[in-house]
Amino acid sequence: MSKGKIVSIHSFRGGTGKSNISANLAAQLALTGKRVGVVDTDIQSPGIHVLFGLDEDKMGKTLNDFLHGTVTIKEVGFNIGENTGDEEGRAKLQGKNLWLFPSSIRGRDISQILREGIDFNKLNEGLQTTISEFDLDYLFVDTHPGLNEETLLSIATSDILIIILRPDNQDIQGTSVTVDVARSLDVPNLFLLVNKALPKYNFDQIQNEIQNQFNAQVTGVLPLSFDMAENASKDLFSLRYPEHQWSQSLIGVVDFILAAK
Amino acid sequence: MPGVFDRLDKEIKLKQQADGITALDLVDLPPTLRKIMRLLLRELQMSYPSLLEAIESLPEADRLTPDQLDSALLSLTQQFWLTHIGEGKKAIYKVNLRKKVGSKLASGIWSSLDEKLKRKPKE
Repeated sequence: MSKGKIVSIHSFRGGTGKSNISANLAAQLALTGKRVGVVDTDIQSPGIHVLFGLDEDKMGKTLNDFLHGTVTIKEVGFNIGENTGDEEGRAKLQGKNLWLFPSSIRGRDISQILREGIDFNKLNEGLQTTISEFDLDYLFVDTHPGLNEETLLSIATSDILIIILRPDNQDIQGTSVTVDVARSLDVPNLFLLVNKALPKYNFDQIQNEIQNQFNAQVTGVLPLSFDMAENASKDLFSLRYPEHQWSQSLIGVVDFILAAK
Repeated sequence: MPGVFDRLDKEIKLKQQADGITALDLVDLPPTLRKIMRLLLRELQMSYPSLLEAIESLPEADRLTPDQLDSALLSLTQQFWLTHIGEGKKAIYKVNLRKKVGSKLASGIWSSLDEKLKRKPKE
């Protein structure tokens, strides 16, 4: 049986643009005709649903319900291709095979998980079953920043790990820890992606320096963008402004994902 | 009505969850065992013959003999890092991941938070 690939998106520190990049990469892959899922495993501070136009009212069953054993993973999948909404960028996903598996944004559900812990056997079952139940080519796992148990599990089971970092010394030091762990866990494809680079810098130089420092492929350098900030997670930026430098650099990352064995 | 076997079964499951493997334990495993565990995590469960087949498909340097595989499976099972249904060549193996423990904050804090969240008016 051919299995879809798990793509984990990780960053050692918060605020790197991880969810934005995950959502945009998943959407770009869906535009190429691939069957794509996005799981929000950032159970403590979920957020990626906003980029797909979901709020508490629209959100149906969640990953929390699955972990509590009250629903199947099939019931959690929210079909984005059938519920794109009116935003110009997301509307391009109409009819595409893209599903979101959101974490609950209800305070009570989040506090319940914090209080009771997480059954990792169930979480892993959910991730693997999602691929088979939805016949996915790619399953994106948006993780909590930093190294914690759920992040490590997603790294340990991923085919492709993309570590997002800013050209900032704190990010760079933290990333070296994650790279070491990922190598120890035999992740087959380890990629780095630099986000929020100041436009005045030489992007080729940033790419070469980071690539040499970590001996890992840097798949792109995305600029710090006021346009992106102005979008405020209302829409999928790379679909709405495909010609923008940020979008063009992100679309370049898709080729690395498609080429990964 | 739950009987003694139900209670025992529950106790065994709790023991297994407490002794399961963490992703950090995977880092410390010898490379071939890590490959087995990774494969099992992706496949969710594998029969003994499938495991043998998977081992044979590894690069020569990483391969285990059937005796070495048996010994590895026994060791992983004894640590509750693997669970199995059936014995010998008919066994089906599954990774047993350790549960993430809940917060150790006093339970009163959580019930108080729950009460507050229940009362929170819908925006």
